[in-house]
Amino acid sequence: MAYIISEDARELLKDVRDFCENEIKEQVKEYDISGEWPKEIYDQAVEMQLHMMDVPEEYGGLGLDHIDQAAILEQIAWADAGVAVTLNGNGLALKPVLIAGNEEQKKKCCDIIINGGWGVFALTEPDAGCDAANGRTTAVREGDEYVLNGRKCFITNAAVGDFFVVTAMTDKSKGTRGMSAFLIYKGTPGLSVGTHENKMGIRCSTTSDLVLDNVRVPVENRLGEEGTGFKTAMKTLDLARTWCAVIAVGLAQRCIDEAVAYSRQRVQFGKPICKNQAIEFKIADMEIRTEASRQLVAHAIRLADAGLPFSKESAAAKCFAGDSVVQTALDAVQILGGYGYSREYPVEKLLRDAKIFQIFEGTNEIQRMVVGRAVIGKI
Amino acid sequence: MNILVCVKQVPDDYVEIRLDGAGKPATAGVEIVNNAFDTYAVELAARFCEANGGAVTVLTLGKDGAQSGLKNLLAVGASKAYLITPPEGDADENCVAAWLAAAVQKCQELNDEPFDLILCGKESTDEISGQVGAMLAEKLDLPFVSSVIEAMPIDGGLSARQETEFGYIRYEVPTPAVFTIAKPGYDPRYPTIKNKMAARKAVIPTVSAAEAGMEARPARVVCLGYAEPPHRQAGVKVQEKEAAVAAAKAVALMAEAKAL
Repeated sequence: MAYIISEDARELLKDVRDFCENEIKEQVKEYDISGEWPKEIYDQAVEMQLHMMDVPEEYGGLGLDHIDQAAILEQIAWADAGVAVTLNGNGLALKPVLIAGNEEQKKKCCDIIINGGWGVFALTEPDAGCDAANGRTTAVREGDEYVLNGRKCFITNAAVGDFFVVTAMTDKSKGTRGMSAFLIYKGTPGLSVGTHENKMGIRCSTTSDLVLDNVRVPVENRLGEEGTGFKTAMKTLDLARTWCAVIAVGLAQRCIDEAVAYSRQRVQFGKPICKNQAIEFKIADMEIRTEASRQLVAHAIRLADAGLPFSKESAAAKCFAGDSVVQTALDAVQILGGYGYSREYPVEKLLRDAKIFQIFEGTNEIQRMVVGRAVIGKI
Repeated sequence: MNILVCVKQVPDDYVEIRLDGAGKPATAGVEIVNNAFDTYAVELAARFCEANGGAVTVLTLGKDGAQSGLKNLLAVGASKAYLITPPEGDADENCVAAWLAAAVQKCQELNDEPFDLILCGKESTDEISGQVGAMLAEKLDLPFVSSVIEAMPIDGGLSARQETEFGYIRYEVPTPAVFTIAKPGYDPRYPTIKNKMAARKAVIPTVSAAEAGMEARPARVVCLGYAEPPHRQAGVKVQEKEAAVAAAKAVALMAEAKAL
């Protein structure tokens, strides 16, 4: 763990590591096969308050330093990336509320999370992935209410959500400036969960469609002014990408640890395979990539904490960490050879878990667009 | 009920300790942690107080640096912690029990109220003598039950469930009393992040041996040296190509070794 953290944070991290070793690492194997959402694990994580690391201190949160928080999230991802994605889902849902919400909205959502609830951020639609502004979900104002209709897809935690941040077009003719964000609470008539995704990896997280069928929400549930939804969503993703990269780093570290442990005990041609430079160099590259990812993450976090621009750095961290973890997982499978391809060993799961990090929270192609445009500037 | 838990800090028992060149346990660089049985005692005490009211105090005899382990216990159910520095020099179990007896009195004085129950782990994971709890009870002239896995309040005292090799025995004792704690049917809780962060900021009162009324005592039991258990001999490989022949050979080998 290469983050520089305080002695107190190291002690906290030890407890998280014990929790991960004892309660997550082995248990998730069964859930990875069944695809069931491991409620028992999340109940314990909530008990430990690992689900509320993004709640600000003034709203009853923990007051964790963000680098300490990254170290903790990385540790959880080391045990299981899907568990980390789920817990981090609360942070993802809370970000737009903290960015654009009023005091009452912030307090209500923070209270829901503190009391063990789950938040959901619903932006993506079947025809609006990378092109988020092309959403077809609409919000039509009727008196003191908005009526929302549409379908969101690939929504983390939708099936267990207590509050939902949903983007919808309030004026399609205005393009990105015609999008608004709304807070919808569990149990609102017309809000339902559709198809569950049977995913390749991160199977301990739940991903579903969210269906809005004449969902009526009061005007006071709008986050910010009408037409600011796209801006809020983009600011949310700027912040969220860094945390997505943190999870990728934790997963990559697990790949390294599994590959190193195997290569030290696997003997071929009379010596452990790690004594072959072909393996040694591969492990070195895995480490270099992962540490570079980690430091990109740390830099983006420090910039955000200092109130400096960080969009480019956050996108770079997510893109690099996402590409790196896939290569690192491939390398781990290669080092374990036939055993790496077997479900009896842990690394094939790591490879399945890794791929999503090039796809979600903005594909890595989108991240390159963000970085490229930031570097080139306006023409 | 006021409960005191005496906590020893030991080298991490997950680490295999070998002997160094001088024949002493090579513990340098091994992380120091709270003795596992003492952490079970803290959890048992915390659950008891949550169910029946009361507070848990933890005490460590140790040097500067031992505060970290005590802070960690403040995050998982203890509300007060004291670090008392024992006199210099080697100590046998009788010395430690005498020092602990003085430390118990000092903690009562600092808390300004007596303890109803004093708990120790049934043994420490480093030296594993299993004597100190019983000797402490003797020094304090208090009733004692060893290897307790459950304590319940009764009129005027406590009932204790003791784990034995053959099953369980239930006892009743008046309070105050001393119990040593075996592994109950649960694990110590994980701290909440909030409790952990608050506990890490706590200032642990430190008391010197003189302030606690402890005196240096000659150890009457002297450790002469340590020896590692004999290393396992390399096994025999049965490499016959036919399964039936291999099985027959393995059975013959086991029979020869009188393992069958």
